[in-house]
Order: sequence, then structure tokens, then C-alpha cells
Amino acid sequence: MIEVHQLSHSFKVGKKGSEKEIPVLKNISLKINKGEIASIVGRSGSGKSTLLNLLSGYISPTSGDILIHDTNVTKFNEKKWAKFRLDNLGFIFQSFQLISSLTTFENVELPLTLKGIDSAERKKMVMSLLEEVGLHDHTEHYPNELSGGQQQRVSIARALITKPSIIFADEPTGSLDSETEKEILDLIKQLNKEQGITFFIITHDDEVASISNHKFHLQDGVLIKGGAVVEI
Amino acid sequence: MKFNDQIKFMFRNMKKNRLRVFMTILATTMACAFLIVLASVGFGIQKSITEEIKSQQLITEVTVYGKAETKPDESAFLSNEDLGELADVENVTAVVRRNTIEMEAEVAVDDRTGSTYPIYITNMEEELKANLSLSKGAIPKEENEVIVGYHFAQALLTEKEREEYEKKQEAAPEGEMIEEPVGFEGDLIGKELTVKVTKYTDEENEEKSEEKSFTFNISGIGKEPSRDWETDQSIYINDSLREEILGFTFVSEEETKVEEIPYSQVLVYATSLEKVEQVTNDLKDKGYNVFSITEELDSVNLFFTVFKAGLVFVGTIAIIIASIGIFNTMTMAVTERTQEIGIMKALGAQPSTIRRIFLMESAYIGVMGAIIGVAISYAISFAANMLLPIILSAALGSEDSSIDFVFSYIPFSLVLIASAISIGVAMISGFRPAAKATNINVLSALRREM
Repeated sequence: MIEVHQLSHSFKVGKKGSEKEIPVLKNISLKINKGEIASIVGRSGSGKSTLLNLLSGYISPTSGDILIHDTNVTKFNEKKWAKFRLDNLGFIFQSFQLISSLTTFENVELPLTLKGIDSAERKKMVMSLLEEVGLHDHTEHYPNELSGGQQQRVSIARALITKPSIIFADEPTGSLDSETEKEILDLIKQLNKEQGITFFIITHDDEVASISNHKFHLQDGVLIKGGAVVEI
Repeated sequence: MKFNDQIKFMFRNMKKNRLRVFMTILATTMACAFLIVLASVGFGIQKSITEEIKSQQLITEVTVYGKAETKPDESAFLSNEDLGELADVENVTAVVRRNTIEMEAEVAVDDRTGSTYPIYITNMEEELKANLSLSKGAIPKEENEVIVGYHFAQALLTEKEREEYEKKQEAAPEGEMIEEPVGFEGDLIGKELTVKVTKYTDEENEEKSEEKSFTFNISGIGKEPSRDWETDQSIYINDSLREEILGFTFVSEEETKVEEIPYSQVLVYATSLEKVEQVTNDLKDKGYNVFSITEELDSVNLFFTVFKAGLVFVGTIAIIIASIGIFNTMTMAVTERTQEIGIMKALGAQPSTIRRIFLMESAYIGVMGAIIGVAISYAISFAANMLLPIILSAALGSEDSSIDFVFSYIPFSLVLIASAISIGVAMISGFRPAAKATNINVLSALRREM
């Protein structure tokens, strides 16, 4: 499902002409199977988010290959990535990343609008999903009228609405209290179990990592294959 | 993303900054209206002058002066073959050739006499085909039948009437208008008309003169001239009498055979105004010296084309200034929506979709500015045409408030040009902000750590 071969990435810092290359990821190779929950743990600056950004196509690697659904996406241009993301991937962000001027309904509807789905069909799909995540009473609320947990539910609903096979989650419970964190993790487990969605979670929280089948450790840009498969 | 969803997005975005968008549309509207009103003055003056030119002469008339090889100061003599050639030119309805009696001529009907001008010797059939139409009577059938102008009867006065009129003229203070005598009242049709021509055989001695009288029957009266101030007291004599009359009246230093006397006027008539240019060009190609209304209109139109281009240029500068406002508005919009654009791109929005939404927004500002600008321009144009004559006549102290002049005229082409400039400039000024939106870095926009 997701295969990463010898992936390296480095940032250029300094003034033009006297730039210095700082390696962030070094020869990362990993494989995540369909229907798994994989987590990457590591300290700040270990390269977790860079790895997720590479897998999401937000940045391009310095070397190495990324295969998603057996498609080599490494050389995708912006246009191809946009379509690929919309068709295959869902995203959950730490700070939710909801559009403040859109209501709950409109935020969840956005990926469907981008896909060009009919308005009536969109309405049906969004309402059904909001019911599922327990937000059917908050359809007309704006993000600033919702609690952190509710906002993350909207974010999860937005990630799910296009029925993606993979969801990338960057610190999905980072901004939440422990009770809400538990609720969100339960929801992720439930979605994984019922719908077979593959989750790729970035976290520094062991509680979050504990729900995963595969746990990868990143340290200074190098993958340490610690932590065997966790049974859940 | 579907087109109607893009439109919805655009409106939703603009709704967030209603005042800013409104002010930008207002600036574009003013610039567009300024351009149209400014150029409409050029169009208005051109229209007035063109119509004035057209009304002063028959628009389908082409005057032929002679052949190109004729010396410029010499009267043109067009042979009968030439006249045949003129008639054969495509879209020519009539070729009128006239001679005018240049000498003193006294006309008399019953006991009334008068002097009228001009007296044409012409081909009656061609005249009728060209533009001569009758208000009364019939087309001459006999050789000695003539047509007289609509105001011909006014020239016919009795001795007594003439004396009284002259006395009144002398007695009247300078500048005062005296009512002209009515002249002949009654039906002129069928009346006998005598034309007495006086020829001075010695230019230095007026007493040495010869007189000859020609007698005709009036068969028809011409149509009233289209303009109130025009008077038509002409006489049209059939050219079957050309040799007889010209044999007496034509004076030349050289011996000239009557049949070689040149026509003093050769006029070619085109079927319609649109064909005048083609007829003029065809005649020029055949080597004739010609003049038509299109020649005059061409020079007028050339001047006004340059004039209007200048006005449109000045107006366009106003639109370019307004476009700075559009650029500013759009750049602000992109900056404000950076995070939103980042989220959309992160979820999978196509760069082209993002660009299109912003381009549509700047185009919308241009379209709205153009629509409202056109409406305002028509209102200003209408008001100017209605009020300026009143203001001008008041300022000039003239009692006659009917100044017949179009100050502002907005043809559809001007609306199209101004709209295209407004929308085009608006879109161009939206390109850079739209490109900026498209190139927004997703990670920077999401403010994610890398």
C-alpha cells in the first residue's frame, strides 16, 4: 500500500551562494500494508513531519522513491499530486485546519466540491457522515463556535468524506485534552476496523502510538525499527 | 470543481469584503463611464458633421470633372462615348449632363416677369432617374416642355409688385427683413413660359447686345426642397434643344462647333450611399476626375478616427489607473485567504481551479464596472444632449433653443470597445494576484513545522 525506498531529504539553509545542506531524513525505507494503523514516533526535529509532507506530496524528496498503491508518486507534478490526494488520501491536522469562514457542513463538503460532485449528492453524503461522527446538530456552526474535539471531528469527517483508502494524521490529538483524545482515538480505531482505512499517524504521544499495528521510531532522520507490531 | 461551485466560491469570497469590492467596482465604473463619455463626444461631433455634409448635397451624387489627361484649368469635354462608359459602370443609375445658361435671362409668364437661376439644359429622363421628382404636373413629353422649380412662381412679379417691393426695401431700416412678394398665384401647369436671353457681343460695351427669346410650356413643378431655407427656382429644359440654345448662348474665343460644346456639369448617381465609394473608385480607375461625398467623408472620418483614438487612449489611462485598485484588492484578497488557499491545495484543489476563482473575481469587477459604466454613460450622454443645447442657447442669448447638434453619441461599437478594455484590463490586473494564489506554498500556508 505505502512503500518507501531509500528516502532522503535535506533542507538548504543560508544565503544564496553560501547555502548549507542539512539532512533531515536519511535513507528511510518502510512498508505499510493495507488496513494497518502505522505510527511514527520521535522527538521534535526527528523528521516525522517531513516524512509525512513527503508522503503527502507537499515537498519533493532529495532522493529515494515513494510508492502508494503501487504507483510511484515521487516524480508527480503539482497537478497530478492534487488529483491523487483528492482521490486517495485524507488528511487530519493537529490544528484542524478548518476554513474559518465555512460552516461545519461546508468544511466537510469542500473535498466533494473540489471533486465536482453534484450539490444534492454532496448534501446527502455530508449529512450522513456528520451523523456518523455525531455532529449532525452542528452543521451550521462555524469552527470558532465548536470545541477542540468537535473541530477535530469535523476535520476527520472532511478527511473521510471522499472515502479515501489512506488517511494521514499529523498529531491528531495534539491539541486535545486526554478525554477528547480518547474519543478521537476510538473513532480512528472504529474507522480502521469497520472501513478498513489505512492510517498513517505522526505522534510523539505513546498513547496514540499504542493503537497502531506498526510503530516506527525516527531519530535524527534515521528510522529505528524499534517497537514490534502491537496487537490491538 | 464545477463551474457553478467556482462562481459560488467567488461570491462567497467577495461577500467577506463587500465594501472593498464595492469601491473597486465603483472605480472601474467611473473609469469605464469616463472612457465612453469622452469618446462619445468624438462620435457625436463626427455624427453631426457627417450628417451636415450628407444633408448639403445629394449623397449618391458623384461629380465628374473630366478625364485625367484634361488640363486642370480647362473645362472637361466628355464625349458621348465617355458618357456611355459612365453609364456602364456598375451600380450607376443615371448620368446627368447639364449645360447652364450663364447669361442674363429674363423669364415671363403672362404679364409677370422675373430672373431666375439656374436654367439647365439637360436630359430629362436621366434627371428623373437621378433625383428630380415632381410635386405637380407631368414629365415633359414634347420638346418645348419644361419643368420648373418648386419656388419658381415666387420669382414672377408684375411691374407694380416689383416697384413696390423695391420701394419697401429702400425705405426699410438696415437689417430689417421685408416680406417677399408672393409672386404668381395659381396653376403654372400648361402656362407658356418665355425665356429671353441677352448676349453681350462686346464685353466692354454693354449696349452691344443681342437678345433671343425661347418659348416653352410648363409641364411639371419640382418637389419642395427638403430644407426650409432652400429655394428652388430652376428651369429644366430638354436637351433636344441644346444645340439651338447653346448655339446662341455659348461664347468662346475659339470657333467651337455646337456639338463640341462641353457639358458644364456631369453628375453620376449611384444606386445607394454604400455604392458611392465603389462607383467613385471605378470612375477614378477609368481615368476620370471625380468628386463625391465619400471623398469629403473620407477626410472627415480620417480626422475623427485619429481624434477618437486619442480620446479612447485618454479614457484607457483612467481604466489603467482603476486597474491599480483592482490589483490592490486582489492582492489583499489573496493575502487574506492564504491559509484557506493552503487548505484547499492540501486537500487536493487543482492549481488551475485556484487561479480561475481569482481571475473570475477580477473579471467580475471588470464586468460589473463595464455594465454600470455603460448605463451611466448613456444617462450622461442623454442628459448632455438634452441640456447642453438649452444651456448654450441661454449663454449665447439666442431665443431659438433648437440647436441641432449631437454632442455625445454612443454607438454600440464604442460600448463593445470600452467593455473589452475594462474587462481586459481588470483581468490583466488580476493575473499576478491569481498567480500568487496558485503558487502559495501549502506548508507555509498551513504554518506547519517542517
